[in-house]
Amino acid sequence: MPTSSSRSTSQARAICPGRTTVASRRDALWQLGGGLGGVALAALLAEEQPTHAADTPHLKAEPTGPSATATAVIQIFCPGGLSHIDTFDYKPELERRAGTPFDTSGDIEFFASKPGNCQPSYWPFRQHGQCGRWVSDLLPGLARHVDDMAFIHSMQSKTALHGPAMFMANSGFILPGFPSMGAWITYGLGSEADNLPGFVVLPDQRGLPPGGPINWGAGFLPAMHQGTVIETAANTPPLADLFPPEAHQEVLAGEPAGRRFLRQLNEKHLQERGQPTDLAARIAAYEMAARLQLSAPEVTDLSPETSRTCRLYDIDDADRGSFGRQCLLARRLVERGVRFVQIYCGAENTTSQPIRPNWDSHEDLARDHGYWGPILDRGASALLSDLKARGMLESTLVICSTEFGRQPAAQGKGRDHNASGFTVWLAGGGIQGGTAYGSSDDLGFAAIAPTFCYDLHATALHLLGIDHTQLTYYNNGIERRLTDVHGHVIHELLTQPPG
Amino acid sequence: MPHVSATIPPPRRTRPLLACGVVAVGLLGSLSGGRADEIDFERDIRPLLLDRCSDCHGPDLQESRLRLDVRHRALRGSEFGPVIHAGNAAASPLIERVTHADDDRRMPPGDALADHEIDLLQRWIESGAAWPESDADRSAREQDRDPRLDHWAWQPVQRPELPAARSDGDHPIDRFIQASLQDAGLEPASVADRRTLIRRLSFDLLGLPPSPEEVAAFVADTSSDAYEQLVDRLLASPHYGERQARHWLDIAHYADTHGFERDQIRGTAWRYRDWLIRAFNADLAYDEFLRRQIAGDALAPHDPDFTVAAGFLTAGPWDFVGQVETKNGVLRRQARADDLDDMITQVMTAACGVTINCARCHDHKLDPISQRDYYGIAAIFSGVTRGERSTSPPAEAAYAAEKERLTRELGEARTRLRQLSGNSLDLADIIGGGDGYGTGRAGAGIHPLTGAALAGSPMGFLDAVLPNAPVAGPTAKIAAVFIPSGPDPLPITLDGHTLPGLTATSAAAWDAIRNGPVNSQHSTVLDGVDYATEGHTILGLHANAGITFDLAALFDNTTFTEPVFRSIVGYGGITPSNGADYTVALDGEVVAHGRLGRDDGGVSLNVPLLPGSRYLTLISTDAGNGISHDQIFFADARIEGDQEALSEADQLELHTTRQALHDLESARDSLKPVPTFYGPVSRPPEPVQRLTRGNPETPAEAVAPSTLECLAGLEPLTLGFDTPDAERRVAFAKWITDPAHPLTPRVIVNRLWQHHFGTGLVDTPSDFGFGGSLPTHPDLLEWLAAELVANSWSLKDLHRLICTSRTYRQQSFGVPGAAAATALDSDNRLLWRQNPRRLDAESVRDAILTASGCLNLEMFGPGYRDFDYEEAYAPVYTSITADAAPLWRRTIYRFIVRSTPSPFLTTLDCPNPANLTPVRLQTTTALQSLALLNNDFLLRQTEHFAARLRAATADSKEQIRLAFQLVFQRNPDDAEQAAALTLLTETDLMQFCRMLLNANEFITID
Repeated sequence: MPTSSSRSTSQARAICPGRTTVASRRDALWQLGGGLGGVALAALLAEEQPTHAADTPHLKAEPTGPSATATAVIQIFCPGGLSHIDTFDYKPELERRAGTPFDTSGDIEFFASKPGNCQPSYWPFRQHGQCGRWVSDLLPGLARHVDDMAFIHSMQSKTALHGPAMFMANSGFILPGFPSMGAWITYGLGSEADNLPGFVVLPDQRGLPPGGPINWGAGFLPAMHQGTVIETAANTPPLADLFPPEAHQEVLAGEPAGRRFLRQLNEKHLQERGQPTDLAARIAAYEMAARLQLSAPEVTDLSPETSRTCRLYDIDDADRGSFGRQCLLARRLVERGVRFVQIYCGAENTTSQPIRPNWDSHEDLARDHGYWGPILDRGASALLSDLKARGMLESTLVICSTEFGRQPAAQGKGRDHNASGFTVWLAGGGIQGGTAYGSSDDLGFAAIAPTFCYDLHATALHLLGIDHTQLTYYNNGIERRLTDVHGHVIHELLTQPPG
Repeated sequence: MPHVSATIPPPRRTRPLLACGVVAVGLLGSLSGGRADEIDFERDIRPLLLDRCSDCHGPDLQESRLRLDVRHRALRGSEFGPVIHAGNAAASPLIERVTHADDDRRMPPGDALADHEIDLLQRWIESGAAWPESDADRSAREQDRDPRLDHWAWQPVQRPELPAARSDGDHPIDRFIQASLQDAGLEPASVADRRTLIRRLSFDLLGLPPSPEEVAAFVADTSSDAYEQLVDRLLASPHYGERQARHWLDIAHYADTHGFERDQIRGTAWRYRDWLIRAFNADLAYDEFLRRQIAGDALAPHDPDFTVAAGFLTAGPWDFVGQVETKNGVLRRQARADDLDDMITQVMTAACGVTINCARCHDHKLDPISQRDYYGIAAIFSGVTRGERSTSPPAEAAYAAEKERLTRELGEARTRLRQLSGNSLDLADIIGGGDGYGTGRAGAGIHPLTGAALAGSPMGFLDAVLPNAPVAGPTAKIAAVFIPSGPDPLPITLDGHTLPGLTATSAAAWDAIRNGPVNSQHSTVLDGVDYATEGHTILGLHANAGITFDLAALFDNTTFTEPVFRSIVGYGGITPSNGADYTVALDGEVVAHGRLGRDDGGVSLNVPLLPGSRYLTLISTDAGNGISHDQIFFADARIEGDQEALSEADQLELHTTRQALHDLESARDSLKPVPTFYGPVSRPPEPVQRLTRGNPETPAEAVAPSTLECLAGLEPLTLGFDTPDAERRVAFAKWITDPAHPLTPRVIVNRLWQHHFGTGLVDTPSDFGFGGSLPTHPDLLEWLAAELVANSWSLKDLHRLICTSRTYRQQSFGVPGAAAATALDSDNRLLWRQNPRRLDAESVRDAILTASGCLNLEMFGPGYRDFDYEEAYAPVYTSITADAAPLWRRTIYRFIVRSTPSPFLTTLDCPNPANLTPVRLQTTTALQSLALLNNDFLLRQTEHFAARLRAATADSKEQIRLAFQLVFQRNPDDAEQAAALTLLTETDLMQFCRMLLNANEFITID
């Protein structure tokens, strides 16, 4: 099982000088010239061959381990900092102290400002569902799903800077260069999709989030594990380079003959060199590419969806439609075996537009959250309804997260960054609906007994059947993990008891 | 004299007393003893420590992990840091605790030390804390010795004896390799054919394929040393430096932007990349190569060949928001700690193969590297921050002084001219509604769309702009105002005068034409004179706008003889250069035109208004980059005439001052600033403390600049707390390049080996510690490392040595007995054949450009930018297809954007420059296949490739042969020729070329 093998200890290695064969995980990966995914690829192409080493462990992407209740993850990410104060974390005390100074000491310095007065939620809160969880009126659609949702109210980040906090939320590290959760998961589990990438990213149509493609990078893992961007806009090819650009469509006509010629060249080259696996895998990759040309347009073509489904996701609405399409596409991708889909609800920061293009509501929270709230609400609640109706919610973990929260104190009409406390929610895939874990203080300023992305990541891996302490990769002196040296599975939120 | 902490282990050799205040306890120890009034450690101190301290800090119990009964532990200190600071009793916790006023804190508990005992301890520490090592001390130290210190990589390099020569060659490398092959019962493969050799060697040394002519010449070369000559020729190629620099940039994680959220451009980082290429080409000795990269700016601050080298330290990512933008101290401290971590991790992994980063939060889990070692090295670099800086501060100072002189004299000359010119008609005043003599309202203006007079209230962007539609001004003196745009002749009056030759503009406009600066004008200063002050005027003309004065109306009440329009035109925005254009025309004929930016200073205009001329036109247009900050202004815009005769003396002075002004402007324009580059900015080092759990908010004891303690035969460096930045890094650079350094030479020879065999002798090239692998051929590694140092650290010689070995020249396939060898050594770690390798992403792109004939071999300078850039809070980079010669340069010259990796290259496994990349990973994916089949760049190159073949010959067979030579460096065999001909009849040359570039043979090296 690839996720649990770890290489021989360094001490053991140090005392066997002169060894010439290595059975370590890292070395085995390198030999393959393509890492685990390379083998997974070969496997799914049914052209699997022994590697040159008889004693190399046979790495194969196995399905999931004993703890697995989910087979796929859809993560909705709200970049910019979604306000827990105005959405999921109800703070009556903040209402009581509305308008009074937040910080009488004068010592607190936020990211970009000093605290103003206590500012309660811009939207009233109500209790919903059987469980009676509180949700603000900003998100009436999601409020109807609280019995399927589990909240973590004690989230903290190590930084209140967008870029590093985005990196942390995605990779567990505030520095760039570490693999994102989706990359780790496909590295650990491979893909169940024959003809689609295992880790797909659906960026907001308004642009990329803060930090750009680094957010779904493979870091030091083999590049094949990076997230593949699929374009959701109509009339654009779903994948980069899936077909020749407009100006060179003419090469398609001769492509079958061209491919026969290529196959001839490669077969001869392969024969001469004694059939090495990496060259065979590269030939197979061209077959896979041809299949991708069929499967990718099929998955992004929403025309087979019923008009009822399209209305559910509101895909024709000018503002909400694009996020609705992202959510609908995520469901279609998971249906086809994609392991991890990340949806961005918001783009990069700029102040030059009338409304901020993400959740970073410094100037006017009612305006900006007021715009983004209905977008998130419609798409995410449609996704939950749809997954549930199709019986997919049980095996699909849905995560809705952000890089940090916002302050309970006013920053003019907005709120500044708050790394000390925020809320994320999960649903499906083994999550016990209607539950909540942890809390922030009376004002929503800071988490009590903080939960970090490590715990969220550990929990997600656990639901996929992976022990987060065992999924490792050697880099720069260290067997790296998604969860660094931290992380606890939050059993309180799960349907299955630990064991 | 600064004190140093007594944490130094017993010296293995005497250290010199350095001028910068480094002092070794052991050294003082060796000098002490003998005189009666001096402290004798064994007589005065040891009994005291044993009697009063060792119950709790002795062999049985070590409270706070402190032992005071044996030398090495006492000098190391407690878990909270050193307790004895040699030479400084007052600062030593030992004295603080034995003299503490608080009974609970005073040591020892119970009876305090007697005054004379305290005095003894104080005098002992003040005199240098001499503690000669006794037999008991030594045996305790040896018992305490960390067995990890015996790790092979920390031991001095020992040059081994060469194994016996074999039948087929006595090359030193072959002797080692063949000895271990023989031990395993294996035979080396035979030497590869010439075509394979030249292709392999050319990609390895240059990163480029050989031309068909080069292949043919080498294959035909019958001289006995043809191969050696080829190696020499390639090593002498300028492309050698480009290839080697690319390897080094991988471990420097170089890019041309900061990274993180606000991924701003580092416009001059490329100077470091160019320095690398030149250094490799000049075969700069590797020790000097490292010294300059660590401390070049300190070693020779005047010499760009040293200073720019230090760009190494700053090549990695940097968080602008965390370091600069945020006001929050916690965030800033975290960002700075990450910054230093990035720097020292890069230096230590690149040069020493030590994973120092593992000791940031705790002692290294595998290697004998303490957290204090980590922070000691952090302190070496704590005076370094990153930024734009001069390549030569001394030359910069001379330039600044000269510029200041010229600026001052220019201002004086202009003021004097203004005085001498006497009364004159001021055009800004007329725009303000005045008569030209000062009656206009300051700040008033004219609406460029309506011609209406405006009061002072500022305007922003103008709506409903209609370009090239002049309207009359508010008085007859102003014939017209308008928003200009070319390229068609531009009407400048209402009666049909036009102005030809202007380029198209954005036709956007901002604010009014003003008697004074325009709304939001950034600056009113030109060459040191502020034209917003008394005695000067400003005619503010934000692009795009134009105004035509009617000279007939202007001169109505005035008698001017030989009138001249004089002004100093300048730029008031923030764009350094290419900000906006100004144009001056007389009766539609351009008499002055130019492009200005913030750094350009003012341009003096002297326009004689010839008799009969009627219309004077002033225009400001954008320079094709939008109108942001396009704030042109005409300072002291006046029409001067001889209306009051000047005295002869004044006339003479007027003449000479004008001449002087002209000379000063020429001198200013020819003054070239000293180039800047993105590199280390030195400042007084910030104090470094050990951070508990690596958290900047939980600092523990202060740590002085120091180095690793675990290396045998190499003294660790320990510097005083007050050592300046330059001295810290110079001392460190010397330490890291000490010929006795066990790691530095081993690490670099292993890297070079890896570049020639795909895998290093140690296959973890940046980790020589316990977490890394053992060398497959320890003796060979030792011999190569010793050879490198003995041979003046020449890397070219090392390449030559490796490449001329038979081991390197072996076949990579078709080896008899391969099955048996594979069974024994599947990884080919014994090198019974050469390793086949995949081309890295950069080499693939360069080889495509070579095949198509498009490769632009221009070396050096700013990188090519295959993206569109959009200025924003977080700049937006949008990839574009490289389809012009300036973008067809070698990939080493790519402008690397951290936040927006090149999709094509990333798909081909080009690493993220956030990571230090000692080894390129290789993947095989369907997305790679799609990129090589359908990517726009590739298809356009394929078109060029096909066109090249067509231009070379009309014969299909010849086209096929040439294509095979260009892509595979060989001729097609008959079957391939036939298959290709079939393809050409079924499809076309383009399809054929496309498939060649997708073939396995193209992207692999045998």
